[in-house]
Amino acid sequence: MKSRTRNLLKKYWPHVLAVVGICLLAVTIWIVTLDRQIRQQFEGRRWTLPAKVYAQPLELYTGQALSIDELQQALERLGYLRSAQVSRTGNFQRRPNRIDLVSRPFRFADENREQQTLSISFADNHIEKMWDSSAREVPVFRLDPLLIGSIYPTQGEDRIIVSQQETPALLPAALKVVEDRRFDTHIGVDPIGILRAIWVDLRSGSFDQGASTLTQQLVRSYFLNNRQTLSRKLTEAVMAILLEVHFEKKDLMNAYINEINLGQEGGRAIQGFGLASQFYFGKPLAELQLHEIALLVTEVRSPTYYNPRKQPERALARRNLILDLLAEFKIVTAKDAEVAKAKPLGLVNATAAHSTYYPAFLDFVRRTLRRDYQESDLTEAGLVVFSTLDPLVQARAESALVSELDRLDKNSKRKDVELEGAVVVTAPTNGEVLAIVGGRNVSYSGFNRALDARRSIGSLAKPVVYLTALETGRYNAASIINDAPVTLKLATGKDWTPQNYDKKVNGPVPLVRALAQSLNLATVNLSQDVGLEKISTNFLELGLAEKPQAVPAMALGAVTVPPLEVAQVYNSIANGGFRTPLRAVRAVLDSQGKTLKAFPLEVTQVAEPTAVYQLQRMMVEVMRRGTGVSARTQLGDLVVAGKSGTSSDYRDSWFAGFSGNHSIVVWLGYDDNQPTRFSGSSGALPIWTKIMAGINTTSWDQPLPEGIHEAQIEFANGLAVNDSCSRESMTVAVPDDAEIPWRDGCKAAESTLGGRAAQWLHGMIGR
Amino acid sequence: MNACPNFYRVTSLALLLSLCACSSIPPYSPAPIVTPPAHSTAVVEPAAPVTETHPVEPVVAVEPSVPLPTTTPATRNYTLSAATRTLVNQATTQRKNLDFVQAAATLERALRIEPKNPLLWLEYGELRMDENNFAQAESMARKALASASGDARTQASAWRLIADSYKARNQNSEAQQAYGRANSLTDR
Repeated sequence: MKSRTRNLLKKYWPHVLAVVGICLLAVTIWIVTLDRQIRQQFEGRRWTLPAKVYAQPLELYTGQALSIDELQQALERLGYLRSAQVSRTGNFQRRPNRIDLVSRPFRFADENREQQTLSISFADNHIEKMWDSSAREVPVFRLDPLLIGSIYPTQGEDRIIVSQQETPALLPAALKVVEDRRFDTHIGVDPIGILRAIWVDLRSGSFDQGASTLTQQLVRSYFLNNRQTLSRKLTEAVMAILLEVHFEKKDLMNAYINEINLGQEGGRAIQGFGLASQFYFGKPLAELQLHEIALLVTEVRSPTYYNPRKQPERALARRNLILDLLAEFKIVTAKDAEVAKAKPLGLVNATAAHSTYYPAFLDFVRRTLRRDYQESDLTEAGLVVFSTLDPLVQARAESALVSELDRLDKNSKRKDVELEGAVVVTAPTNGEVLAIVGGRNVSYSGFNRALDARRSIGSLAKPVVYLTALETGRYNAASIINDAPVTLKLATGKDWTPQNYDKKVNGPVPLVRALAQSLNLATVNLSQDVGLEKISTNFLELGLAEKPQAVPAMALGAVTVPPLEVAQVYNSIANGGFRTPLRAVRAVLDSQGKTLKAFPLEVTQVAEPTAVYQLQRMMVEVMRRGTGVSARTQLGDLVVAGKSGTSSDYRDSWFAGFSGNHSIVVWLGYDDNQPTRFSGSSGALPIWTKIMAGINTTSWDQPLPEGIHEAQIEFANGLAVNDSCSRESMTVAVPDDAEIPWRDGCKAAESTLGGRAAQWLHGMIGR
Repeated sequence: MNACPNFYRVTSLALLLSLCACSSIPPYSPAPIVTPPAHSTAVVEPAAPVTETHPVEPVVAVEPSVPLPTTTPATRNYTLSAATRTLVNQATTQRKNLDFVQAAATLERALRIEPKNPLLWLEYGELRMDENNFAQAESMARKALASASGDARTQASAWRLIADSYKARNQNSEAQQAYGRANSLTDR
């Protein structure tokens, strides 16, 4: 028997050896493969320092129109904590007509500012005075800006990376106590824990008993796979051991803190404690208190099961359990734990947290930066990007678009598909983009309509036609044009017969009325006289990326561009005929704080300022007696200028216009370009108005340029009148040499005295 | 500024202005659609922080029988607010240290606070001159000019900057013209 076995062994020995060898080789290859995979993952993340993107800081200054409540809201948005006295960074105290605060240290592009104690007094909803801790007056002060996201290579922009220095020491300690008490000593897996888990698993016949170390959890998170098969667990364990072989504990802990999932909002995963801190508490991780850290540690186990917004009792119970554990393990004192346990969850409300994620705006930032930087610079070099986003304006733009689209959808005949929309808000004088909304799902980083939806602009083209007419010097606001039927021969040989919106014909009308009522026939006749080529050139000068085709229908908006380009054109008009390139980024700094690139203000005069002034005045009349009149009830005394736009068959509904310091473009329509039921006035205007009414803006208010004077005419016919002969008079701005025919019966009362006095005055001041 | 020969002019200007009842015409804001009262006696205060000065006090207040057309812009004298002055000073220091990028950033802060103040646009234009960016210097000066309605002194400074930028680009005849505009404004 024995010899037979020996013979068999002898006979098959090489085979056995070969099999064992192959197995060993396979295992080695497997381990080497795993090793390469896990190291790539880890190093990829570890050395990745994504560009941090900041919103524009709130500038405080003496005399500023800002109420004490508005400042308090701004501070709360930044996560400043209201307290009984100001002693800590990021705290503020409200007193009667005064706020004291301790600002956070912050490195601006042009100044590395230490934390500072600042007192701000208010009078009549203005900042009266500001002073520092040694009672020195501070005329102007910047608050630290809101961090709005990071540019991350693969996962989208939804992560805020924190360094070890930015992590409160309590967090790793708490994580160890709650999740992995042997973290400091184990080799990536915890054999004692595993044996216990296997025992439990075998008895229950399933593999769901968790005994994962932090390292294993990290590995699992890297590969986004929660299938708990035995082979999966084995792979995970081997990878965890490999990670421990290559890297230090502190790096693994830091990676864990930046990696782990702590929540979900729609399609957006809240990864890492840095983002979770903003998401749940609206402030940086470094400023979290004990009870807040305990809640974040609660979410590690299951962000869904312990969702503090949906399951507050459950989350609170586990949070307090964790606080007990921390006391038990002497991480905190029992007294501190008791105090923390008595505190509420302290969550920032979901909409405020939600509003810190602006994918459409970040998309624009990213495209701007891609012109100068490699993708790897943006995601690895630790750049700091100062953007122009105004969080308050962005929030108003988002809520106005979403709520109005919801309302309009109820009146829509299509039930299969939702209306879509886009908003761009800019600051006319410097071209800074304050807000971008790319669609009604504002936190979804998909199709960015503000930048990419090329749509027909309809009557938004008219101001460019009228500006070109004014620039010729042959026309003014009171000039008469004929709103009469017109048929034009197109290049294709076909006839083109445009019609007015209401299919009516109005005959001779002044320019100001033709624009206010958006008369198509008058505009086509005007554009034929002014010259299509000139108008097309003006479109390009004012800011379109390409010169539109100089075809007759161009005057009525046969120009297909995305809302952002419309915003550029209207920004130039709002800025008095000076084009300044729209920009979303002010400066880019390297990780050491050195300015790598600044995007300085550039202006180019592209239109005659006096002509633009006259146009602006005509666009004010659009809001007062034309297609924008319905905005008045909401805007009250605020003076704004604007223009509606509706493309053929109501496929696009636009409204664009400006106040003293904001220019807003709103588009809405269907993605499949099917007709909506809305004109510019009934669809986009209510959204536009809601944004304008909801932001802190000022009236349109330009001083009358030299060479231009005001004249009274009748809106209907453009004839000069005065108060004593007409009850229908309106004021227009016209060049000093303009001759406006008088209405019958008015000439007698004509103030030739005034005309002469004006000439005399001109002589006086040397013109 | 040779004020003496202009005494007659100034006095008659004062009379005229007082005749207008409203010695400075406020920046345009549309009248209500309802026909406004024939004449207003209120002097509308300018929006802070631009300060508006009335060069001469009305001597006699005579109500005009016929409203005069508003043919001239208000006479103004632009100044900086406490906040923007602080920032302009800071930018000047940065400019002296040849730190143009930071100086520009500081002036942009000031412009965000007072976007319509021509003095700030002039500062920005001077900075661009220092950087030999003559085209932008001219643009900034033109922007200042467009915002400086009624302020002859600021307009003169703007024309001078435009002239300097032309001169730097060897556009001498344009430069001469611009200097001429500047001088005619200062001579008033």
